[in-house]
Amino acid sequence: MISVKNLSHLYNKEGKPAVNNISFEVEKGETFGFLGPSGAGKSTTQGVLTGLLKLQKGEVNVAGYDVSHVQNKRFNKIGVSFEQSNVYGKLTAKENLEFYAKLFDVETRDAQELIDLVGLSGKENVRAGEFSKGMKHRLTFARSMINNPELWFLDEPTTGLDPAIAATIKDIINAQKAKGTTAFLTTHNMYIADELCDRVAFIIDGEIKLIDTPKNLKLKYGQKLVDVEYLEGGKTKKETFKTIDEADRNKLAEVIKKHDIQTMHTKEATLEEIFIQVTGRGLV
Amino acid sequence: MKLLSTYLKEMKIAFRGFYFYIEVVMAAIILIILLVAVKESPVSKEKEFLFYDMDEEIVDTFFKKAFEDGTMVRVDPVDFDVKAQEIEITDKETGETKTKVFEKETITADAIEVYNPDTGELDKTMFITDTEEDMIRLAYSEKTIGAKIWLDDSYKSHYVYYTQGYETERMQSLLYILHNDDIKVLNDTADSLTVRKLGDVEVLNNRQNLVPPFIVLMGSMMGYFIVIAYIYLDKGEGVIKAFAVSPSAVWKYLLSKAFVIMTTVTFSSSVITIPVMGLQPNYLLFYVLLWISTFAFAALGLFIASFFDNMTKAFGILFGGMMVMMLPALSYFIPSFDPVWMRYVPTYPLMQGFKEIMMINGDAKYVLTQCGIFLVGGIIVFLLANVRFKKTLTV
Repeated sequence: MISVKNLSHLYNKEGKPAVNNISFEVEKGETFGFLGPSGAGKSTTQGVLTGLLKLQKGEVNVAGYDVSHVQNKRFNKIGVSFEQSNVYGKLTAKENLEFYAKLFDVETRDAQELIDLVGLSGKENVRAGEFSKGMKHRLTFARSMINNPELWFLDEPTTGLDPAIAATIKDIINAQKAKGTTAFLTTHNMYIADELCDRVAFIIDGEIKLIDTPKNLKLKYGQKLVDVEYLEGGKTKKETFKTIDEADRNKLAEVIKKHDIQTMHTKEATLEEIFIQVTGRGLV
Repeated sequence: MKLLSTYLKEMKIAFRGFYFYIEVVMAAIILIILLVAVKESPVSKEKEFLFYDMDEEIVDTFFKKAFEDGTMVRVDPVDFDVKAQEIEITDKETGETKTKVFEKETITADAIEVYNPDTGELDKTMFITDTEEDMIRLAYSEKTIGAKIWLDDSYKSHYVYYTQGYETERMQSLLYILHNDDIKVLNDTADSLTVRKLGDVEVLNNRQNLVPPFIVLMGSMMGYFIVIAYIYLDKGEGVIKAFAVSPSAVWKYLLSKAFVIMTTVTFSSSVITIPVMGLQPNYLLFYVLLWISTFAFAALGLFIASFFDNMTKAFGILFGGMMVMMLPALSYFIPSFDPVWMRYVPTYPLMQGFKEIMMINGDAKYVLTQCGIFLVGGIIVFLLANVRFKKTLTV
């Protein structure tokens, strides 16, 4: 669905490239996470893929279209949810979606259905200018689905949303994924990426450091640990055991046998920890 | 269909925004000013400063008939307080320049009011001075033309005009032609001529004469400004990016903006024109020129907006452009100030075009020529704006 070969992009001719010779592919139906801190090159890459930025160097094919030849009709297959909400403040939620639907040449979804889907029921006739930041963000997100996109660009889809709404958005993304929609998710939130993505790419300083599935990354970079809290002599003690170490395994067995266990958790490395381990940099 | 829905959406936003109402309120204010504060017939403030270098009795014979039939009335002499001046006088024929320095003083001049024999309205006031220097000082102070008149031994009239220096060649040539010969010969020649009135050509009254510049101001100039404001509102809201990732073409977005401006201007211009002009103008021509010129100026606004990220950055060129575009109003109201370069400012022919439309039997050919020029120019600028926006729509 997306093929990128040796993509580079410069904002200033004499400056450092925002994106430097990156290559990757996204398969149809896949949810691909593009992860990195602010200024890593995520938005630049998405800008080129969506045609908002002109392709300077490299080969990019999106939804069957070569992005070096601008063809507006390709957007019939594409949906874009922006990080910064961008809806007409003087139009109501419903008017925003209805207007946008008319720009497409393909069958579009019902505006009210989308409004209900993102939890804005009852607000359809309220002007978007009166919405909170989170509500605007949900409306922007809803708009990106208006044309039943085959390829869906999601830029920080849950940023600024309360946990309940964020959970709803994640459910919607998973539902679309189940329908076969390909998603290109740009985020610096590793938990979202972990939950939603089939594969993730770590990008930093304009370069992709690795691409793999979250599961493989955890297996490869994570330590297999068990955290145990138990009572000993009336006091609570806490210990961590490595399950790959024989002495630790034996000690863990002994603790379970002899003491009253309060809590016990297996502990995997998070994507964030792996990111830091791989790139040497945090995500902020 | 996409163009129509984009246009309807833009109109909805315009109705819910304040720029539309600014335009309409401005039009209403202008209409009230025209109807209440501007009289149809002008109150003449035209002044002439003359020095008759001859005996007073001879001067009186000049005006005797006019005094008798009442078209001239001698009124009380007028005192003019003239400040200290240094006046440079150049003889146009010899090129010789001399400078005269004067002290502050009060100059008294005889005053004669001249009335239009047909309407009885005051045409002008003539001030007759005692000396040539007084005439020069008053003409200089009041920024008008002065003249010295004398008779030679054969009673032939001679004139020396003192102009301000900025009058057009055409106007100066007119003065030459007017007095290129003996006044008697001129009169004889005039007597032998048959003067014919050309059809029903009528000039606009004072109030009607103000409509063309206001239409240009409200239409083209406001359109040019407001379309830029609309673009930056869209950029501010980020909706321009959402449009950029839709299957609709950029030109439809830009054209819908121009159509909104054309609709607004149609409304505001009609508010001014219809009550003042009634059924006199050729409204078909009026709206054709209005739409085409507004489109051209909106295209210019779009083109300028494509170069800047926000209103603040665009303000310099926006404001400068508006100032230049308003300059032709000077020539419109002061015909003696009509430099050739001014005619190349687009609002110059536009004002003249609207004036032709307002007049009975105006020059339709001239108006249609202007329509053609503005249409071609507007399309070219619009295409350039489209190319620019394709590159910068998301900036």
